[in-house]
Parts: sequence; C-alpha cells; structure tokens
Amino acid sequence: MIARADRRQVDGLVGLAIFLGATTMLFAGLLLAYAVLRAQAIAWPPPGTPPFPTAAAGAVGLLLVGASVALRAARPGVALACGAAFLAGQIGLWRHLVAAHLGPGAGPLGDVFFALTGFHALHVAAGLVVLVAARARRPRLATIYWDFVLAVWLVIYVAVCLT
Amino acid sequence: MTAPPAAIEAHQGEGEDAIHPAPTRFLRRYVFSTDHKVIGRQFLFLGLVFLAVGGVMAMLIRWQLARPGVPVPILGRVLYGRSGGVISPVAYTALFTMHGTIMIFFAVTPILIGGFGNFLVPLLIGARDMAFPRLNMISFWTMAASTSVLTASFFVPLGTANAGWTAYATLSTTIGTPGVGQTMWVVAIYLNGSASVMGAVNYITTVIRLRAPGMTYMRMPITVWGFFLTSVLNALFVPVLAAGMVLLFFDRVFGTQFFIAGSTIRGGGDPILYQHLFWLFGHPEVYILILPAWGVVTDLLAFFARKPAFGYRVTVGALIAIVVLSSVVYGHHMFTTGMSPLLGESFMVLTMIISVPTALLFLNWLGTLWRGAMRLTTPMLFCVGLVFTFGIGGLTGLFLADIVADMYLHDTYFVVGHFHLIMAAALLLSSFAAVYFWFPKMFGRMMSERLGKLHFWPTFVALNLVFIGQLLLGYAGMQRRLYDPSVYDFLRPLLPLNRFISDTAYLLGAAQLVFVVNFFWSLFRGKPAEPNPWQVGTLEWTVPSPPPHHNFDRLPTVVRGPHELGSPEARARGKDWLAQDEIVEIVESAEESR
Repeated sequence: MIARADRRQVDGLVGLAIFLGATTMLFAGLLLAYAVLRAQAIAWPPPGTPPFPTAAAGAVGLLLVGASVALRAARPGVALACGAAFLAGQIGLWRHLVAAHLGPGAGPLGDVFFALTGFHALHVAAGLVVLVAARARRPRLATIYWDFVLAVWLVIYVAVCLT
Repeated sequence: MTAPPAAIEAHQGEGEDAIHPAPTRFLRRYVFSTDHKVIGRQFLFLGLVFLAVGGVMAMLIRWQLARPGVPVPILGRVLYGRSGGVISPVAYTALFTMHGTIMIFFAVTPILIGGFGNFLVPLLIGARDMAFPRLNMISFWTMAASTSVLTASFFVPLGTANAGWTAYATLSTTIGTPGVGQTMWVVAIYLNGSASVMGAVNYITTVIRLRAPGMTYMRMPITVWGFFLTSVLNALFVPVLAAGMVLLFFDRVFGTQFFIAGSTIRGGGDPILYQHLFWLFGHPEVYILILPAWGVVTDLLAFFARKPAFGYRVTVGALIAIVVLSSVVYGHHMFTTGMSPLLGESFMVLTMIISVPTALLFLNWLGTLWRGAMRLTTPMLFCVGLVFTFGIGGLTGLFLADIVADMYLHDTYFVVGHFHLIMAAALLLSSFAAVYFWFPKMFGRMMSERLGKLHFWPTFVALNLVFIGQLLLGYAGMQRRLYDPSVYDFLRPLLPLNRFISDTAYLLGAAQLVFVVNFFWSLFRGKPAEPNPWQVGTLEWTVPSPPPHHNFDRLPTVVRGPHELGSPEARARGKDWLAQDEIVEIVESAEESR
C-alpha cells in the first residue's frame, strides 16, 4: 500500500501544476498586452525613451538564480536571503527608473517594465511566505515554485530588456 | 448507516480514508471550517444574499425603463432621497453595472460553482473531502473579502463602479470613472477571480486524485463532469481577466497607459486591448457558468425520467468539445470594433460550430425525456423549464454569431435578452433545481413541493415573457444601457412593451418571495429527509442526510454508472434504481434469469 505521505505529495504536485498553469496564463495575458503595445508602436523603444539599465536589471535577476540553486542544495536560509535581496534590488531598480524618467506613466517601456516586474515581484514575495510557512513540510513543491518564478523572470527579462 | 466505532477506528491512519473527528469549537466548525460541506453552504448563503441584492437592482432598472423620471415607491426614499426618489443617470449606470457584476461574479458563481461544486464534488465521487481543505477555506474567505470590497465601494466619494459589468476602457480608466469606487471594483474582481482559481485547483485535483475505487471517469455523474470542465476553464481563463484587471489597476493607480490611446510618436496604449483581454476570459466565462448547470440538468432529467441519461458518452464528448471551442470564439463579442473581416469570419464560423456539440447535448436531453416514466417534482419542473429557455436562448445566439445580423443587433436589447435567457433564465432555473434537489442532503429536511410548484410556474412564465420581450425591444432597435428611452422618438412606441416587461419582472421578483419563504420554512420546519428521498443511485444518497463530517463511514467501491434507473437488474430487487456502489448478488440474478 502506498504511504499516505506519498499520495499527498502527488496531490500536491497535481495541485501545484494546475496553479502554475493558471499563473502562466496570467503572465501570458500581461505579455500579450506588451506584444500588442509593441506591435503598434512605430519604433521600440519609442523615440525619446531614455536608455534602459539592462545590465543592472539582469544583475538583480541573478539573485533569483541564486535562490533556485540554494533550494536545490537544500539551503533554504540562503534561498530566503537571495529572494529578499532580489526584492530589495527590484525596489532599488524601480526607484532608479522613476528618477531616470522610465517610471510608470513616463512611456510605454516604463509602463510595461513596471507592470510585469511589479506583478512578478508579488509572486516572489508570495514565494518568501511559502519558504517560511511550508518549506519544512513540502520542500519539493517550494523548489518547483521558485524555479517557476525564476523562469517567468527570465521570460520577462528577455522579452522586455533584451529584444 | 453508521459503522460501529471500532470499524471507524480501524480506518484511522489508513491513508486518505482516514477519518478525522469533526471539530467541536464553534469557529472551526461553522466559520473557519475546512469541511467542504460547510464551505459549500457558506458559498450558497453568500450567493443567495447577493442574488437578492442583484434582483432588487434589476427591479430598479426596470422601474426606470418603464416609468422614466418617476420617483421609485418605498425604496426610492431610502436609496435616492437626495433626488426625491428618482433614479439619476449616474445612479442608473451604477445600477446596471453592479447588477451585472453581482449576478455573474457574486451570485451565480458562488451558488453553483462555490456552493454546489463544493458540496457535491467530494460526495459524488466518493471522497472524504476536497484534496486541499484549507485552500478551500481560503477560497471562501477570499470571496468574502471580495464581496466586502465590492460592498464598500458603494460608500466612497463619487460612488461605486459606473463603467458597466464589462468595464470597457477608456470608460473604466480614470478618464471615464475617476472615483475610487471603480478601482475597488477592479480589486474585488481580482479577488473574486483568485477565489475561483483556488477553487479550480481544488476541484481538478480532487476529481483526478480522489475518486473512489471503481469511479472511472465514465462512471462520474455528469454533474461532476460539469464542475470538472468548468474548473479547467476557470484555471485557464480567469487569469487572463486577472491580467486585464492588473493592467487596469496600474492604469488607474500608477498612471500607466495600457488602455489609453497614446500619440503616434510616443506610442501608447490601446482601448481595444482591454476588450481582447476581457473577452478572452469573457466568452469561456459563459461556459464556466453554464457547464455546471448543464451537468446538473443532465443528471436530474435522467433521475426524474427514471431512465439512464441518453448518450452518456456523447454528452461527455460534447461537453469537452464545447470547452475546447469556447476558448477560440471570443472575437464574436468584438465584431463592431473594426476587426479584419477575415478574422471576423473565422470567429463567426467557429462560433457557429459550437452549436453542433450544443445541439447534441440538447438532443440527448430530449432523448432522456423520450418515453421516460416522468416524475414531475419541483426540481424536474425547473429542469424541463431550463430545456425550454435554453433552447430559445441558444437559438438567439446564432443571430448574434452572424456578423451581418450582429452589426444591427450589437449593443441592443436583443443581446440583453439573449444572454439573460441563458445566464439569468437557464442558470437561475438550474440553480433552483439544484437547491430543491439537494436541499434534503444539505440540510436534512425536505422543501415543500406545493410551495415549490407555486414558485416554479410564475417564475418560468415571467422569465420567458421578460426576456423574450427584451429580444423584441432589441429587434425594434432599443439600445442597451439607455437611461431614458423615451427621449428618442423612434423608441417612444416601445414604452407600452417596456411597461409590460417591467410589470412582468415585478411578478418574477414577487415569485421569488415564495422561494425565500419555502427555503427558510423548510430549513427549520420541513419534513425530515430520508437518506434517499428521490430514489436515485449516486453516492451522496447512500449516506445520511445531512452526511456526517467524514462523508462515508467506509469509502464506497463503485460498480456502475450514475443513472442505473429502471434496469431489469434493479426491478429484480423490487425497486427501479441501483446505487453506484450496490453489489447485486450473482445468485439472485441467476434465479431471476431462470
């Protein structure tokens, strides 16, 4: 007979898969909006947009890679620190962008970057809660969630900052 | 029905069939409960309250359309004291906005999906609870938070949301609706969607993982199929609406311009983008709402025609086909936005293709009824009523799917009549059918059949008169969301029809009081229900009414489909139904065959 814990583990994986599918659709919706805005612009970024700090944004993102690696190495404390540092880095980046006239309302590029990364940051924050609250019981699910958050960030970064 | 305590103890700690004792503290038991049956009842009550609120709003809308500028009696003094009881244009737009919002997101969704979905899915598939009971509880309280935000929006400066239930940009941005009420509406819809997605995660996982032994997919009651497929659509498309809400929130609060047209050079947003995001969700939403209703009706028609559901597999296949197609037809809501004719035509063709599986579903209902030993109980009357109104509602959909007809009918009362025949008439009738049918299982008492029939006939007749009347209004060219049709010469001859519709609508509203009386009277004074008052075979009727905290003393082993009615096997046992887990002794049937 399969142990109850194993069955609950599979229940959890199925549930998480559905939840991540739903979240993927949400980010797909946001990216669709970005695609429409970009397709309708005469040039991208629109003329007059200040240069975007691509490298700095990428550097902040490396912290998410750190979190995922730390979870795989079963070091949840390090992952927690990386996640929190990522959020702090994002807030710093946003403040810099607002000061550099790349904030929300200053132009389509800033709008898109803020909406996508802002909503993504909420998911990172939720991930921190998950790490604190549920990791002790479900390390595998927490790892998958953090990998997902990293994957979403990569897609956003490539789509908005690199192309 | 109750197993000896020793048997229960033996089950404890044996995997998923472990029985947890019911919580004894009031808060854990009735308020922050993780029991799907309690959560189901919570959703049901919440939905019924908002159904009443949305219904009163409909009455007010009808008052204004029939007697523009005349003070509303009684209610007017309370609600519109400042204007002497007259509904002002702003109040009117808020009314139709909130009527739609409340009915769709806060009445029908909680009643059918939250209420009956929660109560029924584990019971019908033979499980002890949902896969994630705590997530289930959070889902309800997220919904409760959402209703609080929505209710609070009525009391802020500039009032509640005003941009229609679809909240089209640019109207829904701060340019059209500057008040904080519209922002609260956005937050409420987002929270509401989160609750739906949490529910969907739970329902899908529960159906995939927790079916009782022998409960194959093709033995599930169609009701479960309905909730399962609805959850699939919920998980996939509610998030798209959420994306729209996120961007609208950014536009309103952080000054971004996703939905506000910008300049050619600087670039900027696109109001039509909002419509794409909204209808990507909005069309599946129609099926999200109607699939559970279809499921319930398919089962109930079989139960009360005392026959197996005609073409079970075809029905399931049709439902799946509808789910797939429903995700690729949303453009038919946007024919008038100047989309490419080629794109419009493909949306038109795809929309029309949906009528093929829908017609199969409909024919199967008729096949179930054909030569059945009909028992015209109250739930059955509501189901048959649904078959009728859904027929008309579905057929009028074909007119709107056709681009040429839609150009004329778009944004008229024809659209209002069409979706009310489906959303209001069909969903309301199926919700009532479900309440009358499962009330004994939920609350352990029967509802009054006499009051039930007294509720059904005026409801059924009035519903059809009201909404078919709206079809006529639309055909005559009356636009929807019009504050005062009498200011247009060409609409003035429609005033008598508008009066007739409104008076019929009041009759419809009054008939619901019979339901309210019946509901509460039966809750406290109704005849105590037996475990299986309707004599049907699905698993929820094999346990006491209401079911114990752990649902099943021993998890059932399912041996047959859900509609084993009137079979020779059953007749050999002196009744006309077999429970899904009932073992028929081979010896006995061998004797019969001799």
